[in-house]
Amino acid sequence: MLSSLNKYRHAFLVGLQSNLVYRWNFAARGFFSLFHLAVVFILWGAAYAGSPSIGGFDFGQTLTYFVTLLVLQFFIGAFNEDYQISEEIRNGLINQFLLKPINYFLYRFSIFVSARLVSGVLILVPLVVALPFIGPYLTFPHELWRLPVGLAATLLSAMVQFSIAYCFGMLTFWFLEIQGFVILSMAIEVLLGGQMFPLDLMPAWIFRIAQFLPFYYQAYFPGAIFTGRIGADLAAHWLAIELFWVLALLGLNQLLWVRGLRRHTAVGG
Amino acid sequence: MLHYLKIWLASARYSIVRTLMFRGDFFVWSLVEFFWMSVNLLMVSVIFRHTDSVAGWSKYEMILLVGTSMLIQRLLMGFFWSSIFEMGRNIRSGYFDFFLAQPGNVMFMATTRKLDPDGLINAFVAIGVVAYAARELGVHFDAATIVTYLFMVLCGLVIHYSILVLSISMAFWLTSAHGIEGSYFTVTEFSRLPKEAFKGLVTRVLFVWALPVVVVSNTPARLLLPRYGFDWRWAGTLFAFSALWFGLAVLVFHRGLRRYASASS
Repeated sequence: MLSSLNKYRHAFLVGLQSNLVYRWNFAARGFFSLFHLAVVFILWGAAYAGSPSIGGFDFGQTLTYFVTLLVLQFFIGAFNEDYQISEEIRNGLINQFLLKPINYFLYRFSIFVSARLVSGVLILVPLVVALPFIGPYLTFPHELWRLPVGLAATLLSAMVQFSIAYCFGMLTFWFLEIQGFVILSMAIEVLLGGQMFPLDLMPAWIFRIAQFLPFYYQAYFPGAIFTGRIGADLAAHWLAIELFWVLALLGLNQLLWVRGLRRHTAVGG
Repeated sequence: MLHYLKIWLASARYSIVRTLMFRGDFFVWSLVEFFWMSVNLLMVSVIFRHTDSVAGWSKYEMILLVGTSMLIQRLLMGFFWSSIFEMGRNIRSGYFDFFLAQPGNVMFMATTRKLDPDGLINAFVAIGVVAYAARELGVHFDAATIVTYLFMVLCGLVIHYSILVLSISMAFWLTSAHGIEGSYFTVTEFSRLPKEAFKGLVTRVLFVWALPVVVVSNTPARLLLPRYGFDWRWAGTLFAFSALWFGLAVLVFHRGLRRYASASS
């Protein structure tokens, strides 16, 4: 058992090394995220000037939500895993995995974990730089249960994010070009994942529908636990639904992989 | 001038024929851009569900501002994005040689080669958003206002074009400028904010004047709003900025071009 996991440990270590090569790309991305945070600060600061409370939360709580979501995205967001998988299928690089005793999903997931470890740590650098400006506004709830439950939700969210990206990558078995689908989905994810605004500010009926979609669990859900937008009474309920989505997406991943391989043609030698 | 118009028309004809060959792609990308525009409008709607004003701007004034910003960005996407985006990759791969052998100015040839009809289609959607907001605000349109508005949008387009050329020209020095185009989208996020929202001196200097994307969208939007109207200082600033940024883009591009060493063996 341990020896079979050893190969994924190596994949993780190789992934760590190759992602460290691109550390400046991640650092630049993190730096530009501060510009996004500046837009959030200015826009919501102006909105709060006319109303001290929006959706029952003050400016500090809303800013804390956006900062938390930004950090979460760098730790668990699927940046370009869909493109990488798509490239491996299109270029035939996937063929080597078909001949070896390695699970492609677990291999890609190991690389995903290493990449997010690098990007997650690197986002902390610009955040520390910005802390003197945003620090006085940050306000987190003090309930202790939020930490373990939020971390569990974060781990499941990472699975949701990766599984969705994996599904899009698998589409390459049917479509030559997946970029349009990915960017279309990104717009939906940004909206229903709570990156544009806290989802609880939407009309109640839309928010209710969003809670049953997988996008809600990509970042909003753990973010809402950490920042006090969800109470203890509902957290377990939504955690169960998040678990359902993880299992459903894993099932879909496997289905697409099996069906896709039937269409796949390995050429060359 | 006529020579360049002929070249551009030939490129445009080629792009349209190509789009007609890949109709599915055209449909998906039009939908993609439409979705992103809708996301921005939804954000305005959600904020105004909970407040009456953002930095003194009402809901429809904000929609007019966002619509104007989207119009400039869609025009950039339609006329220049693909060409400038590919320019960075061509510099790295050596395919940029192809443009050096073209019958015209290298910067013109490299940045106007491809037309994206999906971006241009959505420019009409953006015009629809501006017209809708203007109607809700009771804006009175006359020929002079429309011409001035379009001229300001054109100046804004020049500034956005210059910022994008400047970012991608970094590829001449960095070689791998992969992902640098993302900085353009981050910077243009500011263009959806009213100038009055920028309170501190540092934020004003940095985001309103040093990076003129706020001036680009605010100037034409303010022209249409009855409480502001035409202000020659804003119009003059916008015009001066467009000349300045275009000049800077030309200078940096040609400096970079001197460093280009191709990639062939």
